[in-house]
Amino acid sequence: MNSNPHKPMSSAPNSDFGEETLRLIAGLPAPQGLEERVHEALGAAPCRGHVLAWPATFRAKTVLESNWMRTAAAATIVFVVVGGGWGVYSRVEQGQSGKVVVMPARVPASGGFAGAGAMRTPETLPGPKIGEQATPASTDRSPGAPAGTKGTREQEGRSARKPAAPKKNRIAQPAASQVAPKPVAQ
Amino acid sequence: MSTSQAIYAGWMEIPTSAVNEDARRRAEDAAIAALVDQYAAALYRVAYSVLRNPSDAEDAVQEAFLRVLRHRHSLAEVRDHRVWLIRIVWNIVLDRKRRAKTRPETDDVAELARVLPAKGLSQEELAAAAEHHARVLACVERLPVKEREVLLLSAFEELTSVEIASVLGITESSVRSRLFRARNLMAELLDYERNEHERSLR
Repeated sequence: MNSNPHKPMSSAPNSDFGEETLRLIAGLPAPQGLEERVHEALGAAPCRGHVLAWPATFRAKTVLESNWMRTAAAATIVFVVVGGGWGVYSRVEQGQSGKVVVMPARVPASGGFAGAGAMRTPETLPGPKIGEQATPASTDRSPGAPAGTKGTREQEGRSARKPAAPKKNRIAQPAASQVAPKPVAQ
Repeated sequence: MSTSQAIYAGWMEIPTSAVNEDARRRAEDAAIAALVDQYAAALYRVAYSVLRNPSDAEDAVQEAFLRVLRHRHSLAEVRDHRVWLIRIVWNIVLDRKRRAKTRPETDDVAELARVLPAKGLSQEELAAAAEHHARVLACVERLPVKEREVLLLSAFEELTSVEIASVLGITESSVRSRLFRARNLMAELLDYERNEHERSLR
């Protein structure tokens, strides 16, 4: 029968789960003088509250109770605070506009691509200009073949059989597209 | 004395509330002293049941009361001082045990034979009892933490399951279920230990 429903261990007094040992340890007496030692430890603890006080040199009556000294101290504090605030205020200029870098207006190049808003675009060479000299270069090709496509093997063989122009001439005569037009004399 | 002089003089004067503060502090000191006289022994036993070292247990009790001193302002709000103090010292000893995991405890048989009461026992009986207690404590150490805590606290006659629940911060039903599990585990462990011991004697 459990005499104390709120006492958990009293429900099984004879079972062997080490109850006796635990009870023995739990019932060990405290050492002699424990309370006194705790009192001493509490007395030595530095946890007393302290009220902020003036230093000993200022605690003398002649200094502490003189009204002019307090007034001077208060005036010094006010002067420092107001002066500091004014110093900060005077250094800040009101209504100053921020620095703005004005970029030069870009003139779009005529006939070229658009800059797409780029800040800077490199200089490009002038586009190719087809003149009268460029027409003989395309005579080798068959009239039906398009300009950008290669000819058939037969055509390649025929052109291979043709005597090649002397190298000296080819080097001397650059492509018509690379020849700059001569200025016309007026 | 003019009005301004009176205001200036009041700057550095000790206010009247400080006198009340001093009286209040004295009352709190007296209350803490009464708590020490009343509960120091109980707290020592709780601490010793976990740490099993007299000096460590005493240190834990002192630390608990130092914490009380630090939180003296909340002393009036505490409903049950005994459970509150046991909870403080319980947390302290658990923390200490966790930190000093590697340090060996005084679980050896000789120390137990010295500490535990031995009225009307011969030397052989005393040695056998001490050996049995050491075996039991070794089994307690092998229990899971939750079950071990409940089992240790339940050994204190003065603590009810409601108070154990309050100390551990769990419900009373949890205390009961953990205690049930702890007892079963302890019985199994002790059975196993006993069989091993008998086998080694054969």
